[in-house]
Amino acid sequence: MKTIKTTLKAVALAVMATSTLAQAETLKIGLAGPATGPVAQYGDMQKIGVMAAIDDINNAGGINGMQLEGIIYDDACDPKQAVAVANKIVNDGVMHVVGHLCSSSTEPASDIYEEEGVLMITAASTSPSITEKGHQLIFRTIGLDSLQGTLAAQHILNSVKPKTIAVIHDKQQYGEGLATTVKSTLEAAGTEIVMFEGVTAGDKDFSALIAKLKKEGIDFVYYGGYHPELGLILRQSREKGFNAQFMGPEGIVNSDLAKIAGKASEGVLATAPKSFDQNPVNQARVERIKAKGEDPTGPFVFTAYAAVELMQNAINKTGSTDPEEMAEYIRANPLETAIGKVAYDKKGDLTESTFQVFTLHQDGSKTPVK
Amino acid sequence: MQNNKFMSALFAAGITFVLACLMIGVKLDTESTTLAVRGATAEQWTWIGLGITLVFLSQLFSNQIDAFFGKLPKPKVGSLLPTGDKMTTLKPWLLAALIVGMVIWPFMVSRGAVDLATLTLIYIMLGLGLNIVVGLAGLLDLGFVAFYAVGAYTYALLSMYFGLSFWVCLPLAAAFAALFGFVLGFPVLRLRGDYLAIVTLGFGEIIRILLNNWTAVTGGPNGISGIAKPTLFGLEFTRRAKGEDAQTFHDFFGISYSSSYKVIFLYLIAVLLVIFVIYLINRLMRMPIGRAWEALREDEIACRSLGLNRTAIKLSAFTIGASTAGFAGSFFAARQGFISPESFIFIESAIILAIVVLGGMGSQVGVILAAIIMTILPELAREFSEYRMLMFGLLMVIMMRWRPEGLVPMKRPHLELKQ
Amino acid sequence: MTETLLYLIQQLINGLTIGSTYALIAIGYTMVYGIIGMINFAHGEIYMIGSYVTFIVIAGLVSMGMVSLPIILVVALIVAVVIASTYGWTVERVAYRPLRGSNRLIPLISAIGMSIFLQNYVVLAQGSRDVALPPQISGGWTFGDPAVFEVSFSYMQALIWIATFVTMVALTLFISRSRMGRACRACSEDLGMTNLLGIDTNRTIALTFIIGAALAAVAGLLLGLYYGVVNPFVGFIAGLKAFTAAVLGGIGSIPGAVLGGLILGVTEALTSAYFPSEYKDVVSFSLLVLILLFRPSGLLGKPEVEKV
Repeated sequence: MKTIKTTLKAVALAVMATSTLAQAETLKIGLAGPATGPVAQYGDMQKIGVMAAIDDINNAGGINGMQLEGIIYDDACDPKQAVAVANKIVNDGVMHVVGHLCSSSTEPASDIYEEEGVLMITAASTSPSITEKGHQLIFRTIGLDSLQGTLAAQHILNSVKPKTIAVIHDKQQYGEGLATTVKSTLEAAGTEIVMFEGVTAGDKDFSALIAKLKKEGIDFVYYGGYHPELGLILRQSREKGFNAQFMGPEGIVNSDLAKIAGKASEGVLATAPKSFDQNPVNQARVERIKAKGEDPTGPFVFTAYAAVELMQNAINKTGSTDPEEMAEYIRANPLETAIGKVAYDKKGDLTESTFQVFTLHQDGSKTPVK
Repeated sequence: MQNNKFMSALFAAGITFVLACLMIGVKLDTESTTLAVRGATAEQWTWIGLGITLVFLSQLFSNQIDAFFGKLPKPKVGSLLPTGDKMTTLKPWLLAALIVGMVIWPFMVSRGAVDLATLTLIYIMLGLGLNIVVGLAGLLDLGFVAFYAVGAYTYALLSMYFGLSFWVCLPLAAAFAALFGFVLGFPVLRLRGDYLAIVTLGFGEIIRILLNNWTAVTGGPNGISGIAKPTLFGLEFTRRAKGEDAQTFHDFFGISYSSSYKVIFLYLIAVLLVIFVIYLINRLMRMPIGRAWEALREDEIACRSLGLNRTAIKLSAFTIGASTAGFAGSFFAARQGFISPESFIFIESAIILAIVVLGGMGSQVGVILAAIIMTILPELAREFSEYRMLMFGLLMVIMMRWRPEGLVPMKRPHLELKQ
Repeated sequence: MTETLLYLIQQLINGLTIGSTYALIAIGYTMVYGIIGMINFAHGEIYMIGSYVTFIVIAGLVSMGMVSLPIILVVALIVAVVIASTYGWTVERVAYRPLRGSNRLIPLISAIGMSIFLQNYVVLAQGSRDVALPPQISGGWTFGDPAVFEVSFSYMQALIWIATFVTMVALTLFISRSRMGRACRACSEDLGMTNLLGIDTNRTIALTFIIGAALAAVAGLLLGLYYGVVNPFVGFIAGLKAFTAAVLGGIGSIPGAVLGGLILGVTEALTSAYFPSEYKDVVSFSLLVLILLFRPSGLLGKPEVEKV
């Protein structure tokens, strides 16, 4: 008896929830990512992009007269909090999410969204395993680690051609995943990796590691991880007279790297999404972001912008805010967005890589490598 | 006297100014490429000024404020319950009502509330486990999270590699965590006090780092995802059945799918586990071994003189505490569906310890109450976003000052002679 | 000299430097523990605040047009010591003094709470991003054949070694010779008795916290300059390592804290040198467990006498 009653209740609730959604004047978009914690600045990039897209859409009259509203959910890049946040998003009746940011948060959260029928587009998580589970509602507007790693490895083989290579990573999902891809691609091409080692994220002293690199006569280091550790490695290498060429993923592309490493950051190579803020298509958008006093140059600003564009277009074309219908549409129909043409394969990954190799400079800027 | 008071208030205000002026008043500019500082905005200075005035006034009138608060009755949670004979007759009924309430409750509230309650129950289990070690046996353990991790990974790995179900793994996880507790406890339990604390802290770190580095088996920093959820006699709580001959709960009963069934089901399992743990510990506490734990905490030398084997007693407390954490861990893995070493860091141990101390060491009711407070408060404070952890830390300090003996100080079972 | 030997020398230099940094912070831990027997978990946070204040003062003076490095450093040192001591004193006054005399777990929880509070307070006041300072003292000595392996030893490393050694000697002398030091030792023996003998124990304990915090500020300045980076989370990790070092050497003993720090640092450097560096923390914690198994009160700690 009890079960039937609760079922009725649950059904009634579900019906009520959907009907209120359909009548709503505003469409809530959840923005899940770190607003606090050590990598909060990446969360800021995502926020800048999503808020710019929402403003642009709202100023143009919204989607079918529906205004958008971005709601920020802070997961601090902590997997446990990400699960709590995902549950909260489901509770709040938000059906469309841009996020999460760190792959380790996105992974557990995406399971919940898939099961609860929430459309999620991540603008920054590059771990391949997120889309490998056959989820239908999970997309990303950024290339995979594996694509980025392969691009880096090809660049090392074809342009840098170093003699002795070391691959270092920070023992985190993102960094180790990339480092492993680079290592296996290089080894498949017959290049030997002299050293493959992890460091502890949050460490400050890398002198022992640098002495080891020096002893092995390393002349090229690929680092999988984020900018705080690489910045210190560069700085201490310079002090110890170790002058190898360094290369890293988009996680190091941040003006803070130049601040930490100073002169030592000049000439570091990095793979990163193309600089969409340089793209003439986005010029007006860049101006509008700058007018708000925000920074449009972060690597995730326009990937986040594109995520909102995808949602807008899918709602426009299907005439519905139902995540399943939208997902079906997004998967089947390529769209021209702020980051160029976005087309998906079956898994929800981009078919075209958006990455490119850059040289970083000590003033925090970057120039593409031809 | 008044003059003296004024001077000390002035002094406190001065100290506040020194504390605030450089940290809040001047901010390192992270935007520009060269390091620079900028002063705080006028608004921030107003806040600093307000803070200083507040400190000054509160120091100046501290006597009056103390007197005011002294008049307020100190809330005594313990005394809300009826005592003596009345209690003995009422107790079974109260307990029954509580359990019935806990079972019915999730059907009336939102999914998020049930989910939060489940998390709270996990912390209750952890708190009860550590309570045996710290509260009853008096062994300071700063690495309790290690056993929690062992339990979680036991279930995750067994389920991933051998496809064992949650119900099979639950006792296995507890046994495995107990084994770890036994093996680790054996050499270290002759250490005393703070040395024991740092060694257990070290063990917690070692286990976390090993889990993080042993990529081939544990997935390293990637963790383990897609951990199977518990089933009800083989019925799954997913939208679509996973296996060939598997059946889902809603198909079996012919009702439509709702994700809240799974959440409520997990909550009910947690309730069941907590009741089981409480029952077990209550029995143990009344057994000779339980008495021996407390005796050892009170006076180790006296215990030895009485011929009690202190290693065996300490080890039993350590092992049973660890197995409770193993229980909680395997349930956590099942609920979360994803675990990685990041979930088992030191701060987690610190929070569990805080639950035990805040609740009143040794007191089960207190530990349960403290676990509820410590898990629900940060969630409630989510609205304050960036001030959340700040308030959490401050609350720990205030609680210790306000009720150092804990929310519900432990009461020994005792007899009273009637007049 | 052969490459192997030069490499070993370089790693020993690195290890001793890391060890000195642990030792500097560990001395503060051990002093507080020695006097009132409580683990001051917020000590690492005071060190982090010391680093921030150093950065703020240096940045401020540089932007005001000050160029003389010695003056900048002296001013930064003074300000950092004053501010950090104020924090140390306030933490003791607010979070520990009212709890004195209760079960020793109570101040521990209060200290953990204080540590969380201070960390988040700095996050709110200064942001959670890394703040970087350009190298102030650069250069150093190099020796060995560049063709084989060049060993480098920077001025900054030398400064850290000297500072650690001087601090250790000065504090040991202070505790064993001065009047205040005798009061401190009396407090650690028997707080109640000391009080009865007319020594202001509250003042003595407050002084211990101030000295401990001042040492943390010195460490904050030196390590801030050495690594050039600070964020609100450095205190916690450094505090954990320093605490380990203090216990390893025998908590309560100042030379023990230094010895423990150096052993820990050298172990970490040598592990990173000859094994994958991700295992360095496992090795150092295992070493701690082993040493405590054979010497349950640490290397230089006084064995506890059991009294009935």
